[in-house]
Amino acid sequence: MNDKRSRFEAEVLPHLDAAYRFARWLAPSPSEADDLVQDAVLRAFRGFEGLRGADAKAWLLTIIRNCHFTAQRQQQRRAFVPLPEDYDEADGDAMVASTPGPEAVSISRDQRRALERVLAELPEEQREVLILREIEDMDYRDIAAITNVPIGTVMSRLSRARAALKARWLTTVEGPVK
Amino acid sequence: MTCAELPRTQAYFDQEIDALSAADLEGHIGTCAECQVLLQDLGTARSALRALEPHAAPPELRARILLALDEEDSPAATSSGRPVRQARAWRTRPFWLGAFGGMGGTVVAALLAFFLIAPVLNHGMLDDLVAAHVRSLMPDHLVDVISTDRHTVKPWFAGHADVSPVVVDFTAQGYRLVGGRADYLDHQRSAVVVYEHGAHTINVFSWADHHPALPATTTRSGYRMMCWRVKDLQYCAVSDTGWDELQGLVTLLQDASARDDRG
Repeated sequence: MNDKRSRFEAEVLPHLDAAYRFARWLAPSPSEADDLVQDAVLRAFRGFEGLRGADAKAWLLTIIRNCHFTAQRQQQRRAFVPLPEDYDEADGDAMVASTPGPEAVSISRDQRRALERVLAELPEEQREVLILREIEDMDYRDIAAITNVPIGTVMSRLSRARAALKARWLTTVEGPVK
Repeated sequence: MTCAELPRTQAYFDQEIDALSAADLEGHIGTCAECQVLLQDLGTARSALRALEPHAAPPELRARILLALDEEDSPAATSSGRPVRQARAWRTRPFWLGAFGGMGGTVVAALLAFFLIAPVLNHGMLDDLVAAHVRSLMPDHLVDVISTDRHTVKPWFAGHADVSPVVVDFTAQGYRLVGGRADYLDHQRSAVVVYEHGAHTINVFSWADHHPALPATTTRSGYRMMCWRVKDLQYCAVSDTGWDELQGLVTLLQDASARDDRG
């Protein structure tokens, strides 16, 4: 009946869950993640002719990411919110020493929530490569395409993200115990 | 001291190096404590991250997106907003040409409405059905009358819906009657009979239909739909079960309608 719509539903919508998961890690709140996903899916639909056999999942995630940055820029213009992006990679210690928060003691009971928090605290450029690699199971080439950086950068960000995750994880979970 | 092979060990863990280099690197890892620790850490982190609560797109969001897509492809959205520039040219022509033009335009619009909008209505109907199915899966939305007894469900519809569909409990055949619900669909109170098949919920919608027939089988957003008609009553079964399971229930219902008819 409507060819474009049915092809879109068959090729792109199966990745809606992945898009939502990714959006949840980028957007500051679940409702903003909802808006982000809807915005991105509509854009994807309008530009669907441009996909032409490329990997639909990587393509949709790229659009999610672009929409996220557009929204973020608009928000920045409205209010000056300091973003955690001015992160210096050599400054590893400062990062590990981030405030454990008042619920540090109860964290060991809920490791899952702790891990989510640790992940949420990572600098965005590290968090996104980690999510794409570990949760969405994308390869380096797709991650490079989505985040628009060379593969070498993907590898170094991934390595830093993993080291930071481990360091933060150890301070949050085991730190208070010692 | 930091091992120079750490980056390659990471790539090895991510299965990003070829078999030959992998074999070579495995030899190194066997003797390098640092690389062994890294591999172990990578494995621990990955399994922890993959154990996180998997976020699936909420059903409301899915339904909202489908609606937005409907608006996106409706012909009304794309055809309006152009003829402003031609307005002046029309005025220099005789009145009657304009009048005929108007009539012609009406005919074209009617034809467009018939050929374009009628199928779109249909297509919107399928989306409404999926949205209703998804909504029913949200907590406390599934059934209005809980009963496994057809003699409770069927009369309940008499007061709550505009149609009276066939209601039979097929527990013996694997489709347990859970209850009934009234949903507002196509400007009327449709009757929904809810079945359970294993862990899956099947909603069987029914309403009096005057539109062109819906496709016998179709898929929307991953949900399978089977539509059929008994006289002027349109049925549509929606679920995330497999085709065979859905077909099983549809066949049972069709047989039951045929029996009702004869009895």
